[in-house]
Amino acid sequence: MKILVVDDDLHIQRLYKEEFEEEGYDVVIASNGQEAIELFNSENPDIVTLDILLPDIDGIRLLRQMKEKDPKVPIIMSTAYDYRDDFAVWASEAYIVKSSDMEELKRKIKELLNK
Amino acid sequence: MDLSDKQKIAETIFEHVYEGIIMLDRNYKILAMNKAMEQWTDRPAADLIEKDCKEVFHDSTEICPHCAASMTFEKGEMTVEIQKETQGDVTKYAELAAYPIKDEIGSITGCVVFMQDVTERMRFQYKVTETKEYLEGFIDNSADAIVTSDLGGMITSWNTGAERIYGFTKEDALGKFFPFVPEFLVEPEREMIERIQQGEVLRDIETFRKKKDGSIITVSLTLSPIKNAKGEVIGISCISRDISDKKRVEKELVRRNQELNRLFFISSAMRGTLELDRLLRMVLTAVTMSDGLGFNRAILFLLDETENVLKGAMGVGPSSPGEAGEIWERLSMEKKSLTDMIREVEAGPLRKDSFFDKLSTGMRIPLNEETILTKTVKEKKFFNVSDINKEPLSDIILTQQLGTEAYAVVPLISRDTVKGVLWVDNYYNKKPISDEDMRFLAAFANQVATAIESARLYEQLAVAEKELANIFDSIPDMVFLINTDYVVKNINESVCKRLGKRPEEIIGEKCYKIFHGKNGPWEECPHHRTLESKKEHVIEIEEPYLGGTFISSSSPIFNMKHELIGTVHVLRDISELNRLQERLVMTERMAALGEVAAKVAHEIRNPLISVGGFAKRLEKKLSGNLKEYADIITKEVGRLEGILNEILGFVKEMRIVKESITSERLIDDIISLVQSDIEERGITIVRESGGPIELYVDPGRMKEALLNILTNAVHAIGSDGTISIKTYVQNNAAVIEITDTGEGITDDNMPFIFDPFFTTKKVGTGLGLSITHRIIEEHNGRIEVKSSPGKGTTFRLFIPVNEINRTV
Repeated sequence: MKILVVDDDLHIQRLYKEEFEEEGYDVVIASNGQEAIELFNSENPDIVTLDILLPDIDGIRLLRQMKEKDPKVPIIMSTAYDYRDDFAVWASEAYIVKSSDMEELKRKIKELLNK
Repeated sequence: MDLSDKQKIAETIFEHVYEGIIMLDRNYKILAMNKAMEQWTDRPAADLIEKDCKEVFHDSTEICPHCAASMTFEKGEMTVEIQKETQGDVTKYAELAAYPIKDEIGSITGCVVFMQDVTERMRFQYKVTETKEYLEGFIDNSADAIVTSDLGGMITSWNTGAERIYGFTKEDALGKFFPFVPEFLVEPEREMIERIQQGEVLRDIETFRKKKDGSIITVSLTLSPIKNAKGEVIGISCISRDISDKKRVEKELVRRNQELNRLFFISSAMRGTLELDRLLRMVLTAVTMSDGLGFNRAILFLLDETENVLKGAMGVGPSSPGEAGEIWERLSMEKKSLTDMIREVEAGPLRKDSFFDKLSTGMRIPLNEETILTKTVKEKKFFNVSDINKEPLSDIILTQQLGTEAYAVVPLISRDTVKGVLWVDNYYNKKPISDEDMRFLAAFANQVATAIESARLYEQLAVAEKELANIFDSIPDMVFLINTDYVVKNINESVCKRLGKRPEEIIGEKCYKIFHGKNGPWEECPHHRTLESKKEHVIEIEEPYLGGTFISSSSPIFNMKHELIGTVHVLRDISELNRLQERLVMTERMAALGEVAAKVAHEIRNPLISVGGFAKRLEKKLSGNLKEYADIITKEVGRLEGILNEILGFVKEMRIVKESITSERLIDDIISLVQSDIEERGITIVRESGGPIELYVDPGRMKEALLNILTNAVHAIGSDGTISIKTYVQNNAAVIEITDTGEGITDDNMPFIFDPFFTTKKVGTGLGLSITHRIIEEHNGRIEVKSSPGKGTTFRLFIPVNEINRTV
């Protein structure tokens, strides 16, 4: 199973990569919107974690582009700020506020991949 | 007397006569000239003797004695001629008589010329000529026939006017006995001639004359004798004027006057009432009263344009011969005039009970049928059917139901449109309807139509006024009218409510007292400003006396003469609006804060996550004290994250905030959001409900869910269609069913409709239905969709009943 991690913070990229690989997933990393779309197309990830605040594009627009490409790939919005009042994020399969405790995120990933 | 004495006398006469005398020889040399001659020369007579006459006279004047002399020399006898002399503005005439002077053998040796000033005489003569010409011209050009005859009546002159009036030419008439006297008047005419012969003048005699074509005309005559210088009557002058037209007009005027008197009375009475029923009765009374139009029965039909029929509006007349006799007898006993009757209708109670009236009001004549009544409407003409058996188009309904055998109908035309028809007959006395009756009826009908139109307009106006009053009262803003003296003239209910007073406590009072609690005009007063500028004024005022902040708009009111008579004010309480606005500003500020917070969260949380995340990884790999240190870091980071969450204020796992709300309320709210859109598109919403269902849901989220379906329905229809919304309970679930008559969803698209970003619209995010789906899922409900492309779509939202039960 392949996870596409979209986040512009280098340490978080590494943290996610190590944590997910430990769980047995393949991990590809994108630091901005453009990379994210390219990797989404080329790597065919099974799931995506997506930060809303990216340097080059609004994460919600990225969400839309990915859903237009392939609506079946589950996307977890994971951000540092609560956007849950924004209806747009409801188009994603899950939404979590980023935390140093990664258990919730890992549980969500497992849940969505087993569906 | 000796010769010298005679000479003396002759010389004296020569010098003192008034006539100028001049003697010339054959060579026109002046031999002698008397003093009177000086008026023609300006020079002393003595100076001119022996001078050449041609030099003396030709230079200074146009009078020339030698000219007269030369004629005498030529002819050898006495000549008389009149010469004219003009000097400046003065014209003088002289009569010159030249006598030849002959010697013993009879040859002419000279000439004596007598000159007499005849200016006065000449002037008079010219005047006579002029007058004569003028008179002749006048006679010839006169519009009147001016003819003269001898005493026997034989025509001696015949002017153009006579030719024109009588048709006979001058040639036809001259020498004949008065050709224009009709046979039956020849004798009386001779009597008149005799009177003229006695010197009598006959003026302005109205009599008849015959034209060449035999037709008889009415003329006014003036006959006078023509006398000769001795005063003997030698002929007759006859001036005649064609007054046929005048006579006709006069006759017409008299008749008109009578008619107008009646019409005027009736129409002024009609104009007095604006109640349609009363007016119609007045009209029909006037038509049927004997000193009105005098018909036996009359019915007014009014045109109903929407149904395209003539409807009997009212009928007046006896129902049977017995009743007719009774009524007429009673009327003649009571001696009630039309005036009395009309007054009675005008003021008395309205009775509408006669059998004939009921019969009349039941009648309906469709305009698409070809009958006399419908023709009256279509052709805008009146019809007089003197015998229904000879008129194939006579109205069967009238002959059958009213038994009429002859009747007349006139259209009621106002402003060029037919408003109805007036039907009359003389059923009981069988009196034929004359042309005169018809004309009067038609004249009357015009009055009636205008009056009916006014009454109808008035009725509409009354309705409109009532509506306006209703609107006026239902406006939540305070509306009031103030005249130029600051007196409140009119108010709506909102004013009473706000002030807690009855209308009579407000109207008639000064506005500053009522609205500001002041004793004099308020300096900022918008009313005052509007009066001054005659323009609209809008200001925002805070008026503690009224307890709030208001937008006040005042506009000038003008009367028909464009004079300013006051102002109308609308006061809207914006206290609430202001509060809302304040809240909006606050929210905007919060949103700005939120953005900052998001940035802060991003900048701080990300490093925190790295610290905490890696500490956790360390903790797994370490043991002993070091593991404990890592654990401390992890925990402290967890605490910091907690604080961060708290500061940012969003530890709200519950996305759904449930409240009690009825299904009706939810639906009312979402419909109000699309109301203007559906009205514009001509979409009707049909609601069906088995009564309100109490729901326990997040109202905001649920409205969002329903609204997405409703907007899709509206877009699917586009324009002109129906959306039905049903609510009911089924299998422990509240069901909200939304059906549209739109384009439907194709089978190809159906599987994707809840997918995010899936849309068939040109404009749209494609999130609507996926959000709806999510919201319903959050409420543990479900959605069913059925659609037939081209026919429409039905969405059914099921909200579990246990959710309902929880509310109780």
